[in-house]
Formats: sequence, structure tokens, C-alpha cells
Amino acid sequence: MVITVENAIKDYGDSRILDIDNLTIKKGIYVILGSNGSGKSTLLSCISGLNSLTSGNILYNGNKLDSSIKNSITILLQKPYLFRKTSYENIISGLKYKKINNKEIENRLNKYIHYFNVEELLNKKSHWLSGGERAKVALLRTSVLETEVTMLDEPTAAMDIESSMKAEELIKNLSKDNRTVIVVTHDVYQAKRIADYVIFMDKGKILEMGDKDGVLGNPKNKLLKQILNI
Amino acid sequence: MFEFIKEFFIEYNDMFPVIMLSLKVSLTSTLIASILGMVSGVATALNEFKLKRTLMRVTNTLMSLPPVLIGLLVYMLLSRKGPLGSLGLLFSPTAMIISQSLLVFPIIFGLTVSNISESAKEIQLTCMSLGASKNDTLKAIISECRMQLLSIVTAGFGRAISEVGAVMMVGGNIKAKTRVMTTYIALETGKGNFNEAVFIGIVLLFISFFINTVLYRLQRRE
Ligand SMILES: Nc1ncnc2c1ncn2[C@@H]1O[C@H](COP(=O)(O)OP(=O)(O)OP(=O)(O)O)[C@@H](O)[C@H]1O
Ligand SMILES: [Mg+2]
Repeated sequence: MVITVENAIKDYGDSRILDIDNLTIKKGIYVILGSNGSGKSTLLSCISGLNSLTSGNILYNGNKLDSSIKNSITILLQKPYLFRKTSYENIISGLKYKKINNKEIENRLNKYIHYFNVEELLNKKSHWLSGGERAKVALLRTSVLETEVTMLDEPTAAMDIESSMKAEELIKNLSKDNRTVIVVTHDVYQAKRIADYVIFMDKGKILEMGDKDGVLGNPKNKLLKQILNI
Repeated sequence: MFEFIKEFFIEYNDMFPVIMLSLKVSLTSTLIASILGMVSGVATALNEFKLKRTLMRVTNTLMSLPPVLIGLLVYMLLSRKGPLGSLGLLFSPTAMIISQSLLVFPIIFGLTVSNISESAKEIQLTCMSLGASKNDTLKAIISECRMQLLSIVTAGFGRAISEVGAVMMVGGNIKAKTRVMTTYIALETGKGNFNEAVFIGIVLLFISFFINTVLYRLQRRE
């Protein structure tokens, strides 16, 4: 899917949260970097249709958002809500909503569950899980949907190093078959490991974007240089 | 001992229909008010609209409305000359259920909006991000907030079973037809029959204790 963002403005009261002239997203892994409050989560929620722009357009293969497009986009929120049920029920809840049959549910589960050692957690109620465990369950719940576009808002922020590495493998797997994955992270090393393209945002604007080597290897922006220690 | 129980039952025989009718009227009206109040409450919690604040202020006022006022309103609606007089419902259990539903609805609605707004929005976002339909989202919100909602329903039921004013006016306290626990207590006390009044009073307390015990158990199991 090709997503184009044109002249996108998002205001909350008097403050401008997003101000993007032009952004095109195709297949591959896009990593969004940027400081706190720079509008990363807002951009994702606008693309997913959970939030709406004050003005401007977001087009999907040239079309406005409709229910079939919505069905092919998934977002893992920065603070995902886990249902007060078991981890297992949480992970398959999206598949249930989409009325996927039980056999396929088992297939998808087996395909993704092995990234993390969560087998023992499957029957545990979600409110007893630790922060990192919750993050894994939430990431699995989004991943098993295998939508054409998957957006992940800081999926590994609560995970230990080893689990983050596993999550990165999972993310790479999600981008197979010409799919699109957009990942927000504060970890530049993670960006280096997984990104095909990097978008750098500050104060609601996109200051740099392009393929990973260009943006991370030879940044023009001062702040980004500072972050990258160049 | 057996004799005592037998005597007891004979003496208090006329109280059981009273207790049963109380439960029937109050449970039915709580059920009606809960379904309507929760669905409209969740919808109001999730949406921002112009008159929301005004609506909530009105609701808060209605939450503390004296039951006799509801009684008066329903009486006027159902009395022979009233707009719904042809239905002939005045002084029937149905009239009492209507009054108590009106009495309990603002409580369920108001408490639902104020108690679950925050979590309902969070759950809605997550459900939508997972491709849930509106129906699925509503179900998920009600199921996730079930403990809060259960307490709210209990509060509503407490209001219904304990009020006198409305059931007295629209029911008329007719023996074996519209007499409920609270109107029974009022009547027997007026006649100086304190024993009967106190007995029913204890039954009322017991029902409330029982419901709270069930609630507590459920909450602990979560
Ligand atoms: N509903 C809202 N009302 C008012 N301001 C909001 C609202 N939602 C977000 N904002 C503001 O918009 C700005 C951007 O928020 P956003 O969540 O997109 O940042 P972010 O880049 O994801 O930051 P972080 O790295 O901390 O997650 C913040 O300053 C935030 O305070
Ligand atoms: Mg964010």
C-alpha cells in the first residue's frame, strides 16, 4: 500500500502538533525518530484513522480511508490496553474481532509466539503481567493480525535487551511479502538494525527522511547529528 | 422449635407476597434502567458533544430527585385524565415499575458516565485498533468495566428497593396487589404494629447485606 500524507495539520487548541507538507510511505520498515512531544504518536494515530487531521489529507493508494482500508491497517498504541482476561485471550482478540477461524488462529499463534518465551504466560490474567510481559502480549496481539500496514508505537520501550532483539526479528518478519511496518523508537541503534527508511521529526515537522544510510549516516540536521554523535 | 417456626410462618404469612412483590418491582425496574442507562451512558462517555455538560448537570439533579416527585409525575401521566390514562395502569405493579425505572435511570446513567469515561475511551481506542466493530467495542467496554457497573447497578437497586414515595403514590399500597416492603412498614408503623414493621425492616437490611456479600465475593474473585 502507498500512503501519502499531504499538507497535514493537526492543532490542539492554539498549539500546532503536526505540520507535514508531504510524506509518502511504501513497503518496507520505516522508523520514526524524534524527541518527546514531537508528534510521532499523533502522526500514527492520524494515519490509522483513530484520530483526524485539522486540515490536509491522508490517502491510501490514492483513496480516502474507508472500512476496507481500515481493515488492512493495525496500530500498536504507545499505551496499549490489555483486556482483563488471560494473555492468550488478549493475543487472539483481534483475530476474533476479524472473525478468523480457529485453525487459522492457531497457525498465527504458532507463527509468532515463539519469538518470546511467553508460553507460561498464556493462561495468566493480563493484570498480573509485568511491564515487559504486557509489551510482549500487546506486540503479539497486533502482529498476529498480519495486516498490510502495521504501525508500532515504541513496541520495545519496556522490554529487556534480549527480548528487544527478538522483537526486532519479529518486526522484520512482519515487513515480508511487500508489507509496510512503521516503528516509532527512541533507540537509534534499533533504528540502524531494522530500518529501511528513517523519518526524523521535531515539533510536528519532518526534518529529515530517506533511506537509512542517508539519514543516519549523513544527517544534515543539527539535533539529529547531536543524537547520533556525529 | 418446629411449633415456633410454624406459628411464625402463620403469623407472618401475609408478609411473603409483600417481600416478593418488592423484589419483583425493584429488580425489574433496576434491570430496565440498567440496560438503558448503561448503553446510553457508555455512548455518552465516548462522545463529546455540545450539551454534554448541561446534560450531566441535569442528570446530577435528577439523581437526587425526591421519589414523591417521580410519583407525582407518573401519577399525572397515568391518572384517568392523564395522557396515558386509557391504559388503566394506575395502582398496578406496572405503574410502580415505571416509576422506579425513572427513578433509577439517572443514577445508572450518571454514575456510568462519570465512572467509566476514562477507561471506556482507552478500551475503545484499543478495540478500534484491533478492528473491532462498534458492537464488539460496546461489549468489550461493558465487560471490562463489569465490576464498576455492577456496583452502579447495586446502588440503583438500593435506591429502588428503599424508596417509599413513588410506590405509595402510583401503587396505592393495596393489600396483596401493590403493597411492598416500604409501604408496608409505613402502614404498620402508623397502626402501631411495630413488630411487623421491624421484621420487614430486618428483611430489607438482610437483602441489602446479601447483595453486598455477593458483590464482594465477585470482586475478590476478579
Ligand atoms: N488530546 C490532546 N490534547 C492536547 N494536546 C495533545 C493531545 N494529544 C497530544 N497532545 C500534545 O501533542 C504533542 C505531541 O504528542 P505525541 O504523543 O504525538 O508525541 P510523541 O512524539 O509521540 O512523544 P513521545 O516520544 O513522548 O511519545 C504533545 O505535546 C502532546 O502534549
Ligand atoms: Mg508517542
